[in-house]
Amino acid sequence: MYNDIIIDNFSNPKFVGDLESADYKFEIGNPVCGDRIHMQVSFDGDYIRESRFRAWGCATSVATANIFCGSIIGKSVNEISARKNSEISDMLGELEPSQQHCINILSELHRELSLAVSLEEG
Amino acid sequence: MELYKTLEQAGLDPVKVALSSVGQLYAMSEDNLLSFKHSLVVESFKFHYQHNEFFRHACDSRGVLPSQILTADDLIKIPLIPIHLFKANDNHKLLSKGLNTIELEMRSTGTSGIPSVSRRCSDTVDNAILGIYAMYREFLKLSKGAGLYLCPSTEEIPEMGMIKALNLLAGLLDTHKFMVKNETFAPEDALEQLKGWGGTFDRHIIGPPFLINRFIRYLKATNTRLKLDKNTFVITLGGWKRFSGDMLSRAEFNQECIEYLGVREEQIRDVYALVESNVIAIDDENGVKHVSPFVHFSVRDPKNLEREVELGEIGQLAILDPLSRSTPGFILTEDLIRLLPKKDGAGGSGQRMQYVMRLPESKEFGCCAVNLDKRLDDLELEQQTACPIVS
Repeated sequence: MYNDIIIDNFSNPKFVGDLESADYKFEIGNPVCGDRIHMQVSFDGDYIRESRFRAWGCATSVATANIFCGSIIGKSVNEISARKNSEISDMLGELEPSQQHCINILSELHRELSLAVSLEEG
Repeated sequence: MELYKTLEQAGLDPVKVALSSVGQLYAMSEDNLLSFKHSLVVESFKFHYQHNEFFRHACDSRGVLPSQILTADDLIKIPLIPIHLFKANDNHKLLSKGLNTIELEMRSTGTSGIPSVSRRCSDTVDNAILGIYAMYREFLKLSKGAGLYLCPSTEEIPEMGMIKALNLLAGLLDTHKFMVKNETFAPEDALEQLKGWGGTFDRHIIGPPFLINRFIRYLKATNTRLKLDKNTFVITLGGWKRFSGDMLSRAEFNQECIEYLGVREEQIRDVYALVESNVIAIDDENGVKHVSPFVHFSVRDPKNLEREVELGEIGQLAILDPLSRSTPGFILTEDLIRLLPKKDGAGGSGQRMQYVMRLPESKEFGCCAVNLDKRLDDLELEQQTACPIVS
């Protein structure tokens, strides 16, 4: 049911927790099913230094939050925003139909990160 | 232990035998049933102690080993998992098997909005489904008819435990229809559907109490009194407390079902279940809830959880569920219940329960139904307060 990427990221989440001082915080969620991901990000100049999350929901959405954190550290927001949809969906590996909604969650995390940073700068 | 060993030596899985022997288990003497349940729970305890590091650490820190659970009196020593841990963002530690064995995730979301997620492996799904169907058959004897589901479909919210459990009933019926779609409920359509099935099927009404109550409010407002069928069941599952905190009175609910749906009181059956456990308790014809005979309820003193209260006294429910293989089934709930003594002449062994309320200090109450009820209320309010615009 779960591919190895999801199993590894759910069972050994490296980025779960809180940052001592986060530059940006944002949250995404679905009020009906209750999936919720709270993200914290800190920057070093233009580049993301650290990222942590807290997530509540299905195993794939928890793994998605961990994958997102791991994928943005050391990158600039411009690099992250430039990712294509196909790249984003590839980050989660092959998913079953009941897990496909996590591609939307991952896309939303990308959008919210860009939005949080642009709002702050604007 | 003798029966357990006999079954095992014959090459049978004692849990699976228990699941298919509900009537026979209720027919056992109380002592024999308790002894058999003790064996099932001890074997489950051994399994989780061996395979779950988090649970083993909890046992070791309390100095509890499976070998110490020698009799049913020792069951109280088994460490319990507080139910809120199913909501924790590190609830992966509750797994006694790898995520690759998990077949089904189910959830319930109460007033806090944080989902309680339970994960079941194939073996646990087998046990849960066999156990639920066995209880439905034992207490409802359903095999035909039409089900008016006053709740959303599993197609809309496939992972919601309450809907999943109710949807299992649909497989026993000839036809069914979900009347809540896209967070809207039109009682007129429900009434039409019931009329359409009249004379062809026994009509059953199935759903959380709030939504059935909402349908009855409509019947009341339109002064419509139905006469459903002699084999009709009104089957409720879900909380009796609304988002606002108001409690629905069971006695009042029953009275209104009798008056507006035209059923007898014994046709109204409430079901108690939790997404985190595989137990269900179903009302008999006298409105007394019977606990699945393969699961053990231990009612604890909320001020001293190591002490069980006396039969008939209210306490905090601890569930010892040997059906659960993917996570330990030893759960401390936030529900206050009482176990009821068997009345004279009432046949059958096993535990009888009465749900009282959610623990007052519990941070939340309700299941997915409570949020749906609020959403329907909000939508109704929006419609009532919408500014009339002529276009």
